[in-house]
Amino acid sequence: MAQIGASVPATPKKVSTLSKRKVQTTIFILLALGPSYCGYLLFTLYPNILSAYYSLLEWNGITDPKFVWFDNYKYLFQDEYVWRALGHNLILMVTVPILTIIPSIFLAYLLNVKGYKESPLYKVIYFLPNVLAVIVIALMWSFIYDGSNGLLNAILNLFGIDNNDFYWLGSKKTAIWALLPPLIWGGVGFYVVIFMNAMKSIPPSLYEAAILDGASHMTRLRKITIPLINPIVRISTLFLVLGVFKGFEIMLIMTNGGPAGSTEVIGLYMFNMAFGKSSHNYGYASAIGMFLFVVLVIAKLLIDRLSSKDHAEF
Amino acid sequence: METNKRTFIDVIWRLIMFLCALSVIFPLLWIVLESLKTNKEFFANVWALPDKLMFENYKKAWDSYHLGSTLLNTLYYVGTSLALGTFLTALSAYVLTRLEFRGRKFIWGTIMLSLFLPGINALVPQYILMRDLGLTNSLTGLIILDSFGESVFFLMLLGGFMQSLPKEMEESAYIDGASLFQVFTRIILPLSTPGIVTVAIFKFLGLYNAFLGPFIYLSDSSKYTIGVAMYHANQIMQYKADWVTLFAGVTIAMIPTIIIYVFFQKQIAEGATLGGLKG
Repeated sequence: MAQIGASVPATPKKVSTLSKRKVQTTIFILLALGPSYCGYLLFTLYPNILSAYYSLLEWNGITDPKFVWFDNYKYLFQDEYVWRALGHNLILMVTVPILTIIPSIFLAYLLNVKGYKESPLYKVIYFLPNVLAVIVIALMWSFIYDGSNGLLNAILNLFGIDNNDFYWLGSKKTAIWALLPPLIWGGVGFYVVIFMNAMKSIPPSLYEAAILDGASHMTRLRKITIPLINPIVRISTLFLVLGVFKGFEIMLIMTNGGPAGSTEVIGLYMFNMAFGKSSHNYGYASAIGMFLFVVLVIAKLLIDRLSSKDHAEF
Repeated sequence: METNKRTFIDVIWRLIMFLCALSVIFPLLWIVLESLKTNKEFFANVWALPDKLMFENYKKAWDSYHLGSTLLNTLYYVGTSLALGTFLTALSAYVLTRLEFRGRKFIWGTIMLSLFLPGINALVPQYILMRDLGLTNSLTGLIILDSFGESVFFLMLLGGFMQSLPKEMEESAYIDGASLFQVFTRIILPLSTPGIVTVAIFKFLGLYNAFLGPFIYLSDSSKYTIGVAMYHANQIMQYKADWVTLFAGVTIAMIPTIIIYVFFQKQIAEGATLGGLKG
């Protein structure tokens, strides 16, 4: 972008101090913006463009790449592991947003409307998991799920349920469901804060009128609060869906897709295809990446349309 | 608003809110508690309190996971990226919001493009690029990757802040013969401190909590940051069954972010609502 900044023409009429000022400004802009902007072009935009090209290669990163046109994509649509992984994504994309958003709305309403003296403290506590590292969250939940020493089985034992040290992440039936709590635990507090702010912008006069009419809390929540924060709820839901679609760090740390691939999500499948211990198939991994890219960009465009409409409503 | 009469239903609401808070705090406290037991006590009964507080576990975790050098690596990576990245972000925000020049709209446009990039498809080409530049398996390489770039969220946050500053001070400084850089460091930076603090807090949390980047790029254990070190500690623990030491390690790993949260929770909650749904 150097030439754009540098080509500012000095108008002939201006005195020389002014044109000197212009030169100085140009140099400053180049030096100030240059490093980070070039870094952005090099480390963000360029790899994104390159990934489209890589997806047409058969390449392990060491030998010479072979150009195979759309073979990777053809293989992708026949690859049963891709579909299995997408199925797991689908389960999480339906459950995680619902189980995050509903408690968040409920807790935000309670925190906002019921001024209990402990409420401010709760707001701080609910948000706490959002500042924790993903490694801390993932390891903590691995400990909770452990068979003989885990917290979950210990709690069940307190209630007289003895499940023979069942290892929650070790069974194909339970492992994918066991991923829900860490994903939800890490996210609810964030949306509590988001929804609390949204609820604060609702004019109190609306509630006052409803209270005069004798509306209960439930009615007010259903008839006033939720409709008015609905745009933000919708956007939040879509962001959660997209986040779950491309996220895989929790799975990478807790199960690495196991047992027997029962927690493998599409992002993790792609990651292991590129960086896993056994295979380095950069071409195919890029094709999966491009597939995700297309789905996510379409979804993002959809969100933008929705959210711009929502601003008109407010 | 109505006066909140306390009724029986309030007891239920308060109980629910309490249980939610407990579900956040309890597992964390459980880890801290177990980190102070012996392995024998831990295996015998998860609930029992330790006979004697085993602070030795922390020493053992410190030594066996090489937390000293790991935390130095983390400090180098987080500290340098934070200082360099925040400074560069502030410069970018200043140039892009307060200076008029040709091509500015175009540059903004290309930066806004990043909102549409999910990032996941760029992992492989980015890795190859870093490899070709000789920046893999290097903390400095990771710093370069994380510091040189543009973030729409941070630019909007800081840019919005800088736009609200009055123009007059800048202009009088120009008349006094100050250069643009002097205006930036002596007027803009001090006046934007609250915005810069928010950016720095979020950068700190993002960098300290970063897992995937260090996991992909750092292969020598002597270069691990705290997140990657704990990941490998957990892998090894599965064979050694030394739980309490790992608990101590995890506790150490979460202390810095919790301290930051305690001090800056207001900025963090505000910043989250500002940018959370945009980035």
